[in-house]
Amino acid sequence: MSNLSFTSRVPAFDANVGVGHRNNRRYPFDEPLQLVEEMARHGVDQALVYACHGETISPMYGNEALERWTGGENGLVPQYMVGADPESLRQIQGLHASGLVTHVRLHCTEMSRTPFVDWIYAPVLEWLVAEDLPLWVSMADTPPTEIVDTLTGYPDLRVVIVGAHYAHSVMVLPMLRVLPNATLELSRYENTQGIEQLVEAVGANRLIYGSFFPRYAMGPILYMLNHLSIDDSDLAAICAGNVEKLIEGSVTDDK
Amino acid sequence: MIEGQEIIDFHGHVGPWDVYGMYDDDSAMVKAMDAVGIDRSCLFNIFHPDGTSGNDQTAAFVARHPDRFVGFAYVSPLMPERIEKELGRAIDELGCVAIKIYPPYSTWKMTDPVWDPVYAFADDRGLALISHTGPEETCQPEQVGIVAARFPNANFVVGHAGNMEPFRTQAIEAAQANKNVYLETCSTFREPGVVERLVTEAGADRVVFGSDVPLMDPRSQLGKIITAGISDDAKRLVLGENAKRLLGMNYSQ
Repeated sequence: MSNLSFTSRVPAFDANVGVGHRNNRRYPFDEPLQLVEEMARHGVDQALVYACHGETISPMYGNEALERWTGGENGLVPQYMVGADPESLRQIQGLHASGLVTHVRLHCTEMSRTPFVDWIYAPVLEWLVAEDLPLWVSMADTPPTEIVDTLTGYPDLRVVIVGAHYAHSVMVLPMLRVLPNATLELSRYENTQGIEQLVEAVGANRLIYGSFFPRYAMGPILYMLNHLSIDDSDLAAICAGNVEKLIEGSVTDDK
Repeated sequence: MIEGQEIIDFHGHVGPWDVYGMYDDDSAMVKAMDAVGIDRSCLFNIFHPDGTSGNDQTAAFVARHPDRFVGFAYVSPLMPERIEKELGRAIDELGCVAIKIYPPYSTWKMTDPVWDPVYAFADDRGLALISHTGPEETCQPEQVGIVAARFPNANFVVGHAGNMEPFRTQAIEAAQANKNVYLETCSTFREPGVVERLVTEAGADRVVFGSDVPLMDPRSQLGKIITAGISDDAKRLVLGENAKRLLGMNYSQ
């Protein structure tokens, strides 16, 4: 049943939230508390947050700027970003040595005109495999062909594909089949009954909720998830359980 | 229905679009509608320039669930000789209640006189007409504002409300300048604050909910309205009352 108001009926952990201004986009909030209040309005308890600045300009600067948002006990979990520059990897390695890194996000490769190819990103990918750290990759910002062509060379790398759109509908299932360690984040996956079909095809344990805030408003996808024809256990896994397992280091089971 | 409010989705499609994995599966559409309380979806087939082929498919599709689907008539200036007759047939014989146009499938801007027979038909009958709008040169929302002023008895619905800036602002300005312009909400561009802005700047009585079903799931698009920071009264207008008014005497429950 639907109401004119909504909060999630299961715990929600948003796996895809940007924070801070970007060079070409103003952030809706000035303070972390405002973001936390927006999360609470929808029933979101925790969020993985990355610095929007790092998407287009400097992952390194963005990672340093994250602390302003994640420094308190506010449910905002840092998601550090890596670029193609060797210094960027060194920064991530230093953060990891300090116990701060549970997963890593790839910067927006298309915006920097850096193709996501093995001969550029091998040091990053090899290190992630060695440390068993999952990698978030945005399908909104890296061509699907590059994602698949490069990541099929790293079958042990756990990866989260972010931002698959309805325009990617015909490629999502084949992608998940050739990348058996891939999880799909659902912030833009809006084709009718598309998520139910994915649950049927690959299992709920390979899907996670994300909003892609501030590119997208926080509530609509969470609202849709709460109204899918799926079991509550699957809903709970998609909305929070699966991402918790990912960043804690468990390997998801294949269907 | 949601809390006693009839919910009408003003923007949906008939006809497979399988390059995008979109299939017009009526049972899947009704299932998604039922999950969130959408009572009716307005549907049209934009893929056939003769109008007739698509409108016949729309009518047949609507007939499978006549209490859940509402048909809109589609015509194209690629076949101008067919426009008036096909609109008459679709409205008077097939039961369509409004008009849909899709200018990007032609080379003419909405302000080009080639479209005038469509507008005149809508104006003459007091019908609603929804057009795709966005950055495409043929359908930027400022064109709707120009046309709406010339045909004051028709109601022009700006599909996707321009989709993105600066076209969203154009859409709002068109609505502010013309009482017969409405803004429809379906869009893949759903940044924070969009729905709130449409309501605040154009008026809650001038915004209508749409989903683009089955291209987009109506549940997420409805979620845009439900989770927006607007009053429940505004939600009721956006989710159904404005659409009922637009569909007017030709619409029956």
